[in-house]
Amino acid sequence: MAQVPVQTIHRDPQLFYWILFPITIVMIITGVLRHYATVLMASAPKHLDQKTTREQRAMLHGINVRGNHHVLSKPSFTARRDALITAYESGAFLKDPDNRGQPPPNPMTDPGAMEGMMGMMKNQMAMIIPNTLIMSWINAFFSGYVIMKLPFPLTIKFKSMLQAGVATKDMDPRWMSSISWYFLCIFGLQSVFNFLLGSENAANQMAQQMTQMGPQAGQMFGPGVDPNKQFLAEAENLAVIEHHSVLDGVEQRLLDQIKV
Amino acid sequence: MAPSVLHPPSHLSPAEALAVSQQAPGILRASAAAVSSSPLASLLAGPEDPELWLQYENLIVSCLRTGDDLAANACLRRLAIRFTAGNERVQALRGLVREAEAKNNGELERVLKEYDEILEANDTNIPVAKRRIALLRSMGRLPDAASALVRLLDFSPTDAEAWSELSDIYLSQGLYPQAIYAVEEVLVLAPNAWNIHARLGELQYMAATAPGVSTGSYQKYMAEAIKRFSRSIELCDDYLRGYYGLKLVSKKLLSNGAKAMKQADDSEFALPDTSTVERLNELATAKLAAIVRHSTARDRGWRGYSEADVSAARVLLTEDASAIKR
Repeated sequence: MAQVPVQTIHRDPQLFYWILFPITIVMIITGVLRHYATVLMASAPKHLDQKTTREQRAMLHGINVRGNHHVLSKPSFTARRDALITAYESGAFLKDPDNRGQPPPNPMTDPGAMEGMMGMMKNQMAMIIPNTLIMSWINAFFSGYVIMKLPFPLTIKFKSMLQAGVATKDMDPRWMSSISWYFLCIFGLQSVFNFLLGSENAANQMAQQMTQMGPQAGQMFGPGVDPNKQFLAEAENLAVIEHHSVLDGVEQRLLDQIKV
Repeated sequence: MAPSVLHPPSHLSPAEALAVSQQAPGILRASAAAVSSSPLASLLAGPEDPELWLQYENLIVSCLRTGDDLAANACLRRLAIRFTAGNERVQALRGLVREAEAKNNGELERVLKEYDEILEANDTNIPVAKRRIALLRSMGRLPDAASALVRLLDFSPTDAEAWSELSDIYLSQGLYPQAIYAVEEVLVLAPNAWNIHARLGELQYMAATAPGVSTGSYQKYMAEAIKRFSRSIELCDDYLRGYYGLKLVSKKLLSNGAKAMKQADDSEFALPDTSTVERLNELATAKLAAIVRHSTARDRGWRGYSEADVSAARVLLTEDASAIKR
């Protein structure tokens, strides 16, 4: 059987020192700088005044009572439920009870909401600007040739990943172009950053994108959510609970479970 | 084995607290006085260790207990350098140090006034608010402490620590229903905490055996106490306090004889029938005896019990045995 001849491309060995290393080092340095830029730009967590805290925690309290109602005996649960429903429906926990029933303020004009959005913008900028710069730097200086050969064989599908910017049909996918090395660095440097900066670093933009995709924790009390409506919904949730207690028949369970 | 510096030292015995506070010079020497937050230093020295700050906090508490004010102040200074003096926890810790150093009531009053000033500027400073409540309580002003706690819990009803403190204050005043209510709130926040279940059982038992309790509420309290203790054992096998309480309650119920156990209306818990109570009593006795035996022999896997708990269980068992002989 005819062997496919091994492709050999004569490269200047200096390529390795003048392109592979610089790209890697630049990527690491930008990651570190980005981390510190994010740390410096981070705004201090917003201070909540007493009324806001009260509103949010009263809500959480209701959720806790609803979720863990089974630890209470029936009379104590009923007492709590009645008290909470009355308070929720009368708006006793609201930050400003006068605003009940009015439409929520426009998040664009609310200064508190603006601050949050500014923070997000800043983070986005810290991600986008360095990436654009480095991408164009690599494109300007190092595009259009291969810089290394991977020490293991790959299937043809990897061509588009490893040979971006080098449109050669017949070249073995093991050859790698500089742009591709850049992309690999973007995805693969997370562990290096973890080592350098600790595990909660802001150097890697992939992690940040993940968190932005994911459900936002602050959504519940975020801007544009009407707390009054939340309270009313929670009152309804509480009202429909069919109460059962974990203490019902617990002695029998215990006697069945533990044999001396 | 010396207790770890990483755990809050509030439950330690005096000897253990001393052992912890004697580690203070070593820890203070081993770590730099001020952690630089400059990028270069953190690149070279690796990420800063959050455990260090926890160690400092715990060291402050145990050093104050054992009278090593110098080390406590050194820890406090390092925390203040790192987190600025305006940090809520640092403020509370500084208050704690000053409370410990106060020599008379006048100085305590001054610390109290400082807390009031801090709280006036920032009324959601929960660590300082709690410190203030603790100070009020240790100065003997229980009603003030209770009302301050109620105010704290009004805007922060999801604070289990505050609820249990409130329950403790109410209990010391003999206000059983209020204390029970507060512990129930703790349970709502931590539904599977077996120690809280047992605590609630203890409160119910105390409420039931308090003088001047009507038969109806006696039965209600006893029924719930027995259920709470059972639940705590269900959550944590071999839980000594749970078995102790179960034994105590079932013994009490049996010694009262089969009083006319009227069926309460179905919204409340009914007392289990006598045979169940007898079986629970047997179970608790057997388990307590096993725990006492193994723990006295220091068997492997039975060493975690506190001396005081075990000897209390032993006393309960001997009382029981001598009653049977007679």
